[in-house]
Amino acid sequence: MSLSSRMILVLTTVGLISGGFLAGVAKLTKERIALNIQAEIEEAIKIVVDDAEVSTVLYEEEDLVIYREMEDDGQLAGYAIQATGVGFQDKITLMFGLDETLTKITGLTIIDQKETPGLGAKITEWVAFLQFWEDRDATGLLTLRKPPVRTPPELLATEINSITAATISSRKVLKIVNLSLEKVRGLIAEGKITSEEHDDH
Amino acid sequence: MTTKTIRAEYLKGLWDENPVLRQLLGLCPTLAVTGTVITGLAMGLATTFVLILSSLVVSSIKKLIPAQVRIATYIVVIASFVTIADQFLKAFFYPISEALGPYVPLIVVNCIILGRQEAFSSRNSIGRSLIDALGMSTGFLLALLVLSSIREILGAGTFLGYQVMGPWFKPWIIMILPAGAFITLGILLGIALKIESKTKRS
Repeated sequence: MSLSSRMILVLTTVGLISGGFLAGVAKLTKERIALNIQAEIEEAIKIVVDDAEVSTVLYEEEDLVIYREMEDDGQLAGYAIQATGVGFQDKITLMFGLDETLTKITGLTIIDQKETPGLGAKITEWVAFLQFWEDRDATGLLTLRKPPVRTPPELLATEINSITAATISSRKVLKIVNLSLEKVRGLIAEGKITSEEHDDH
Repeated sequence: MTTKTIRAEYLKGLWDENPVLRQLLGLCPTLAVTGTVITGLAMGLATTFVLILSSLVVSSIKKLIPAQVRIATYIVVIASFVTIADQFLKAFFYPISEALGPYVPLIVVNCIILGRQEAFSSRNSIGRSLIDALGMSTGFLLALLVLSSIREILGAGTFLGYQVMGPWFKPWIIMILPAGAFITLGILLGIALKIESKTKRS
């Protein structure tokens, strides 16, 4: 057999065996990986929307998913917004909750981030950042308040605290939320999402 | 062909030819994922899995591979085991897989693995290749554990997530930043050289 034929034969055989093997591994792990991603999203929803039990995807586009959350007894618990945007180092994926009337933020949690450890990564900490996201006004633009802010009552309903030494990461999270809220308001105006308040009319 | 005993073959990877401290190989994951012990441990184990299995396969099929396509063949073999390790972590250790980010797929380009295939497995028996891979991966794992332990304890005051430093301790944030990785590795390399020069003199 010529050298060229041998080279082609060896590489093709190794490639085929490897491909077949990987296809088998992908088949075995695919379902479990999908369940892990789903569990991560469900956990985030439960953090930001109280009593959320049944999720329905209302709207989905790249970097934005809107879920309607129902309680066990069929009552509307609120809405969860999963959004992805640019952070300081890499993309930030977060989830925030809206109340039944889509006018108030009920909480925020970070699903994925690669901000600077010890500085920007503080966006994942409850005391430093997340506690300030409860009960924020979702009807207009939210703004950043410079430190020091120690407790949430020190802020206006339209304000978010800025983490000391991590202003950029705080601002990036705020921008992702503001853009998502703008999109949500647009969808309400277009009638693609209806809040409970709107349903009553 | 080497005449080393099995014991010497294994032990060389731990110190004399330690991939990180003596050969300065695999420094990208060494610096990037040693901010915490758990990520350092996971990276060390994933690399161990890939190195051992790649060495076994390469030493088994070495006579069948034409020299002209040997590197391409090694890369296909290595990439296959890396993909398996990546899928396994995603399926069974999802939080660790998320923390390691792109560094698991990047094991493909870790010089330790390709280097051992070219320098050792393609020229030695399956048994010796296995011992060499075990020694090299243990050496790599130990280096990662030492580096990550120092960085996590000083950078966060914790070890494997458990608080080990008292309330008086203020974490040195620089230690979990890239600069801390370079500083710690530099000090460890300095210590390794010092020990080596003392051993040679005595």
